[in-house]
Amino acid sequence: MNQNINQTIPVNDPFGKASNGKLGMWLLIIVDGLSFAGLLIAGASLRASSSSWPVAGEILDIPLTAFNTFLLICTSFTMVMALSSIQKGDQGGLKRYLAYTMAGGLLFLGIQAWEYYHFIHNGFLINSSMYASIFYVTTGFHGLHVLSGVIYIGCILWAASNGRYSANDWDHVEILGLFWHFVDLVWILVFTIIYLV
Amino acid sequence: MDNHKSLYIKNAIWLALLTFLEIGVSYLSISRTGQIVLLMAFAITKMLLVAWIYMHVRYETKALKWVIFIPIPAGILFTVALMYDIPFRWVV
Repeated sequence: MNQNINQTIPVNDPFGKASNGKLGMWLLIIVDGLSFAGLLIAGASLRASSSSWPVAGEILDIPLTAFNTFLLICTSFTMVMALSSIQKGDQGGLKRYLAYTMAGGLLFLGIQAWEYYHFIHNGFLINSSMYASIFYVTTGFHGLHVLSGVIYIGCILWAASNGRYSANDWDHVEILGLFWHFVDLVWILVFTIIYLV
Repeated sequence: MDNHKSLYIKNAIWLALLTFLEIGVSYLSISRTGQIVLLMAFAITKMLLVAWIYMHVRYETKALKWVIFIPIPAGILFTVALMYDIPFRWVV
């Protein structure tokens, strides 16, 4: 049965050696990217038709979020190092770098939660204004992605602790890396449009 | 596939540097349009650096690169269409 299935599936020549899982993750990233684009474009459109809008730094804390952005960049580095480690067969390096990435993601979420708490405490609520709605919906949607990413890292880290990956088997780590880098990539745009522009 | 640790470190440094430049631009007293153009240019550069180096897009086949980049013009078209719609909203 399995042999028949393998014979009927065409070879993925146009996509080289990319596994089905990797192609699936790319499709998810494209669809998810369009979801973020929808939010950001809707925000930009509402802003363009609004008579008043806060200037950069008037309400939002730019230095704190810049640190968070830097943190996410660092986690992208640790994630790519996790993949690089397992490609060389270094299981200890994989676990160490995945743990660093997870810790960075959790710290990012902690800072975002602290920021939200601070804003809510000062009366900047999701229904305060159009600006507040766009801020909370977009950053909240991204925060959920970071949370998903942290859980995803936890699952891969668990499998790595059981010796699941090796120099010849690192596809899952690469797919996880794609998702995590996407979360970083989207934050770059969210930070620029929501906080700086 | 790739074990260029120094390249990854350099990329992280460039990303951090561009982030600091972005913050600097947001405080500059230049025209609003100039500020937006600069900020978006920095953001797009950073996104390309992440995709090209960290996501290893540079190693992917031409077909996959097309699949990845084709939705971008669709997003731009959507933005332009929405912006053109703004002056006519009062009609409704």
